[in-house]
Amino acid sequence: MAARSHALVVPFVALAAALAAVPVHSADPPPAGAAPDAAGFKGTVQPFLTAHCVRCHNAKKAEGKLDLTALGADLAAGKGADAWQAVADRMSAGEMPPEGAKQPDPAAIKAVTGWVERELAKAGKTGATAPGSLRTGNHVPHHLLFGPDAGKAPLDNPPRLWRVSPFIYAEAAKAFKGLTLAQPFALPPGDGFKDTAAVGGLDESTTAQLMRNAETIADEQLALRKVANKKPVKELAPLLDPAPTRAQIDAAVQYQFQLVLKRKPAADELKRFAELYAAAAKLGGPEGGARAVLVAVLMQPEASFRSELGLGAAAGGKRVLAPREVAFAVAYALTDRAPDAELLKAADTGKLATPADVSREVARIFADPKADKPRVLRFFREYFGYGGATEVFKDAKPFPAHNARGLVEDTDRLVRDIVAADKDVFVELFTTNKSYVHHTTTERDRKQVADALAKYEEDKKKDPAKAAAKGPPNLESKRSYLAYGLSDFPASQPVELPKDQRAGVLTQPAWLVANSENFDNHAIRRGKWVRERLLGGTVPDVPITVDAQLPDAPHKTLRERMEVTKQAYCWGCHKRMNPLGLAFEQFDHFGRFRTQEQVTVEATDAKGKKTTALKLVPLDTSGLVDGTGDPAVDGPAPSAVELVRRLAKTDRARQVFVRHAFRFWMGRDENPGDARTLMAADQAYLKSGGSMRALVTSLLTSESFLYRTAK
Amino acid sequence: MTANRRQFLTNVSLGAGATVLSPMLARLHAEAGGAAPAKRVVFVVEGNGVPWHQIQPKGIERNKNLIASGTYTGRSGGVREGVCDVPLKDHDLPAALDPVSFVKDRVTVLQGLSGKMCGGGHSSDFGALGAFTSKGPPAGPTIDCALGKHLGGVFPHVGLGMTERPGDTVVYNCSAVAAGTAAPTQTNPALAYQALFGSAAGGAAKKAFDSRKPLLDHLAADVKRAEASLAGPEREKLQGYLRAFETMRDRHGKLVEMEATLKKNAPPVTDKFTSAVETDRLDAQFSLAGAALVSGLTNAVTIASGAGNPYFSVRFKGLGITLDKHSIGHGGGFEGKTADELSTTIRRFHFELIARLVKTLQGVKEGNGTMFDNTLIVYLSDGAEGHHSRCWEWPAVLIGNLGGALKTGRYLELPGHGAKGHKHIGNLYTTFLNAAGDQRETFGQPDQILGGDVDQKGGVAELLA
Repeated sequence: MAARSHALVVPFVALAAALAAVPVHSADPPPAGAAPDAAGFKGTVQPFLTAHCVRCHNAKKAEGKLDLTALGADLAAGKGADAWQAVADRMSAGEMPPEGAKQPDPAAIKAVTGWVERELAKAGKTGATAPGSLRTGNHVPHHLLFGPDAGKAPLDNPPRLWRVSPFIYAEAAKAFKGLTLAQPFALPPGDGFKDTAAVGGLDESTTAQLMRNAETIADEQLALRKVANKKPVKELAPLLDPAPTRAQIDAAVQYQFQLVLKRKPAADELKRFAELYAAAAKLGGPEGGARAVLVAVLMQPEASFRSELGLGAAAGGKRVLAPREVAFAVAYALTDRAPDAELLKAADTGKLATPADVSREVARIFADPKADKPRVLRFFREYFGYGGATEVFKDAKPFPAHNARGLVEDTDRLVRDIVAADKDVFVELFTTNKSYVHHTTTERDRKQVADALAKYEEDKKKDPAKAAAKGPPNLESKRSYLAYGLSDFPASQPVELPKDQRAGVLTQPAWLVANSENFDNHAIRRGKWVRERLLGGTVPDVPITVDAQLPDAPHKTLRERMEVTKQAYCWGCHKRMNPLGLAFEQFDHFGRFRTQEQVTVEATDAKGKKTTALKLVPLDTSGLVDGTGDPAVDGPAPSAVELVRRLAKTDRARQVFVRHAFRFWMGRDENPGDARTLMAADQAYLKSGGSMRALVTSLLTSESFLYRTAK
Repeated sequence: MTANRRQFLTNVSLGAGATVLSPMLARLHAEAGGAAPAKRVVFVVEGNGVPWHQIQPKGIERNKNLIASGTYTGRSGGVREGVCDVPLKDHDLPAALDPVSFVKDRVTVLQGLSGKMCGGGHSSDFGALGAFTSKGPPAGPTIDCALGKHLGGVFPHVGLGMTERPGDTVVYNCSAVAAGTAAPTQTNPALAYQALFGSAAGGAAKKAFDSRKPLLDHLAADVKRAEASLAGPEREKLQGYLRAFETMRDRHGKLVEMEATLKKNAPPVTDKFTSAVETDRLDAQFSLAGAALVSGLTNAVTIASGAGNPYFSVRFKGLGITLDKHSIGHGGGFEGKTADELSTTIRRFHFELIARLVKTLQGVKEGNGTMFDNTLIVYLSDGAEGHHSRCWEWPAVLIGNLGGALKTGRYLELPGHGAKGHKHIGNLYTTFLNAAGDQRETFGQPDQILGGDVDQKGGVAELLA
C-alpha cells in the first residue's frame, strides 16, 4: 500500500545500535515462570488484606463470592489469578475498600496492586498485565493530574510501535483507484477510543489479508491484471524483461521504497531485494520475481507499524522523537495520510526539531483547506459515541420517520460547525440549542411530501369518490422534522430549538438513540456516559454473576422498572449512573422531546376480550448531580437539559474533556507523569477563548507527545 | 517385496512425507484397516436464533416435568426436570429439518441446553461458539477453532460465511483462535476459493503461487532483523508478524505437495461464487466446505450464515423473501406468510445445503465406510433461541456421530436451567472435544448464575456412545 507508508530516517534493521541504549519498557514484567514472591505476600499483601479486606471477604461471609483467605501467593499453582486480578482492579479503581470503610494509604494500595501485577506476569497472564493495564484512564485520581499536587511525577512514556489504523490503510488504498482491497485491520469493538497504541500486533489472518492486497497492488503496478490498455509503471517495467540488469532492479526497488516507505533503500537492502528477485524469478519467471520484490516492500514491518521509539537525543531520562518520527506522528495525529512533502522536508532539513517547529507545522496543516483532517471529527464521534445510533435497531411502527443515519449526519454537522467556529468549543458542545434537522434529506423529503399532497388534491378534483376512498397519502415516514419536535420542514438550517428542550450533543437525537435500546431508553448507559466522560468517574463492568436485565413490566415506567437496581448489591454501582441517566427521560427512545410518558396496560376490547392499550402517565425527569467538586453545582437537577448545562460550566467537566482529548491524540491513557501536559493543554484552551486547535496544538507539542522515557 | 498394501501405507505414513500427506493417507490407511481415520467437524451457524419449536420432531411433546418457576428473572413456565430421550425412528422431523431425514439415524435434536455466560441479545457473536461473554473481543478460543487445532490440518480451521453485502470479504465475529484473536470468516466465495485451492490453479496463477516461497522467506528474514532490535511488548508485536509469515511459509510447502489432490477435488467455480444473491453465495460456500474436507485441507469448517452483529438482518432474496431477518424476528410477515413460516423456509434451505454436504461426504470412501461416518455437523444459532435471545435455552441439531463417538438418531432434552443435571453449551463443546480425543474438563466460561450448586465440569454424558 503505497501511501500507507511511513518510515524513519533509517530502516528498522539499522536501528539496533541506536536502540541498544533505549529501554523498551521502563518496567518490563518479570519473566513468566519465575518463582512466586512469597516474602512480598507475607510482608506486604497479607497484612493489608487482614487490615482492610478479610472482615467481609472471609470463608464464612465471602462477600461478592470472594474468600481472600483461600487465595494463595502462588498464582500459577493456586489458580487464583482471575480473583487476584479482580482484587487489584477494584482496588486500583478506588472501589475497594468500599465507601464508609477505613481507607488505606494510596502507597499501600499501590504496593499490593504492584505485587499482584508482578505475580500475574509470572503466572503467564501477560495479556492482562501489560503495565498499567489494570487501570483505565479514569482510574488515575483527578488530583494527580490537575491542581497543586500534580505535575511532579516524571514522564512515564515508553517507546512504542503503533500498528497503522484501518483508517490510514483505507486512505492509502485510495491511491489505487479501481482496486478492491479488503480492509485487513480491525479495531476493538465497543465504545470509546479504539485506535490506541496498545492494539496488538499482526496475527496470521491479518497478515494473509495484507499479503493478498499487496499482491493485487503489485499486479496492478505491473499491469498483470489483464485490464485493457493498462501499462506497467515505467520505473517497474524492466522487471518484466527476461533478464533485467542489477541497475534496473535497483531502480525499481528505489521507486517502490520511495512510494511506500518514503525513503531510500540502504545498500544492503538493495542487495537483498536483488537476491529476492533472482530467487523468485527462477521459480515464477520475471513476473514472479517482479511481484515478489514489490510485495516485499509493501509488507515491510515499517509499512505496517508506526514507529515512535524516540530515536533523537537523550537527556534527563528521556529521548526526543527523531524528526522523521515527529513528521509521521504529527501527520497521523491530524490526518489519515503519511506526512506531506512539506512535513518531510522540514524533518529532513532540521526544521522539525523543537516544539515551536511542531507548532508551526500543526498550524499550517490546520490552516490548509486542502488538508483533510478527519481525526478531529473522529475524536468527537468516538468521545460522544453518537455514531452508535445506526446500530440500534428500532421498529418503524411507533415512529416511521426515524432515520438514524440522518440523525448522525446532523450531529456531525453541528460538531463541525462548533469546531470551525473554534470558540468556547466545550461549552458550545454541551449547551447549544442549534441543530440540523435531517439536513441531508430535508429538501428531498419536503418535495416528496409536497408532490404527494399536490397529487392527492389533483386526484380529488378528477375523481373525488375514488380519491376519498383511497384517502390522503401516508407520509409519516417522510416527516423527519418530527424527530426534533418541529411542526414542519425548517426553512433554513441550522435551526434554533427551544432552549428548555435541547442543550448540545447529549440532547441530540443521535446521541439519545445511540444510548437507547430497541424499545426503550437506556438510562443506565446514559448515566454511565456522563459519569465517565464528564465527571471522570468510574463504573465497574457488570459482574458476571449478574443477569443484568430489567423486569419485563410494560405497565411500569422505565424509572419504576429500574427500582430493582436499588437493592444493596446493585446500588453501589447504579447510584453512580441512574440519577444522572434518568434526567434524560425528558426524551423518548427516538430522541424526541416529551412531556408525558406512555405505558402499556391491560384492557378489554368491545367484544370483552382481554387486550392491551397505551396509557399516558406523568413524566419524571428529575436527576441528581454529584462528584463535580463544586457544591454550587452538585445537587438535584430537574431535567437533562438543566443537568448538562450546569455541568458544562465546571472546571472538572472541562478538564475531564481534556483528559479524553489526551487519550485520543496520544493513543494511550494518561498517568501522573502527564500532568504537566494536561494542565498546559487546559490552560492553552482557556487562554485562547476555548479553542480546540489551541488545545490540540498544546498536546502535540507536549513532552508526552514528543518524548519517550529512557533509562 | 512382500509387504502388502496395508503394510506399505503404514510405512509411508510414518515416513518423511507424513505431515503433508497425512490427511489423505489417513483415509487410505483406514481403508486398509489401519488406525482410525481423521475426525472432522462442521459448524453451521445461522444468525437470528433457532426457536425451539422449529426443530422439534413431530409427535414429541417437550418435557412437561416442571418444577416451580425459578428464582431467576426472565424465565417463565418453570424449570424442566429430568432427561427426555426418545428415538427418532418413529417420529418425522419438522419441515425445517426434513432434508436430513435420509440420515435420521445420525441426527440428534438437542433441547434444554443454556448459555447464560454469553449474554444474548441479537447475537452472542464469538460467545456462541466460545461459551463465554459476548461482550468485547473473544474471551478465549471458540470450539470450532479449538477442535480444528486438536484435529490438525493444513488449515487448522476454515471459516466461511455469508453476509448481505457481496462486497464484504472477511468479517470477524464468529470464530476465535484464542482470547483476543479472532479468526476470519471469509464471506467472498471466490476469494476463499483462491486461498484454499490457489495452488492447484494452472498457468500464471501457478507461477505466482510458486514465487511466493522465496518471498515468504525474505519477509520472515526482514521481520526477524527488525524484531531483533526491539524488546518487551513492542518486540512481541513484531514476533506475531514473524510467526504469521512462518506459518504461511509452512502451509505453502504443504499446499505444493498436495497439488494433485487439490486439482482433483477443487469445486467447479460457478456464477454462484460471485453472485449478488445471498443464497447463491451460501450455496458456493457449502461447496467449498465439502471440497476442503474431501481434499484434506482442513478438518474443521465453520459456515456462518448471516451470523453475528450486525449481519443477522440478512435477506434471503434467493428464496423470494425480500423481508430482512430482523423484521422477521420481530414477527413480520411477507406475501401472506407468517414470520414462523418464513424462518422455517430459510432454515429448511440451510438443511438442504447440509443434506448436500452429507451426500458429498458419503460419496467418499473411508475405512469401511465413508467420510460422513467420521464427521459431525453441528447446527445452531449465534442468537441462541430467538431474535432477542436470553440464552436460557440453546436449541441445536447434531448430524453425524464423529466416528461412532456420539449416540445419534434421537431426541434428547436435558433438564432446564437450574434443575439437577442441567448442561450448557460449554458442556456441549466439552463433549465434542472429548469425543474428538481432547480430554479437557471444561470449555469456555462457567455460568455464574448456576453458582456452585451444579457441577459445570465435563461434557453431556447422554450424548456419548
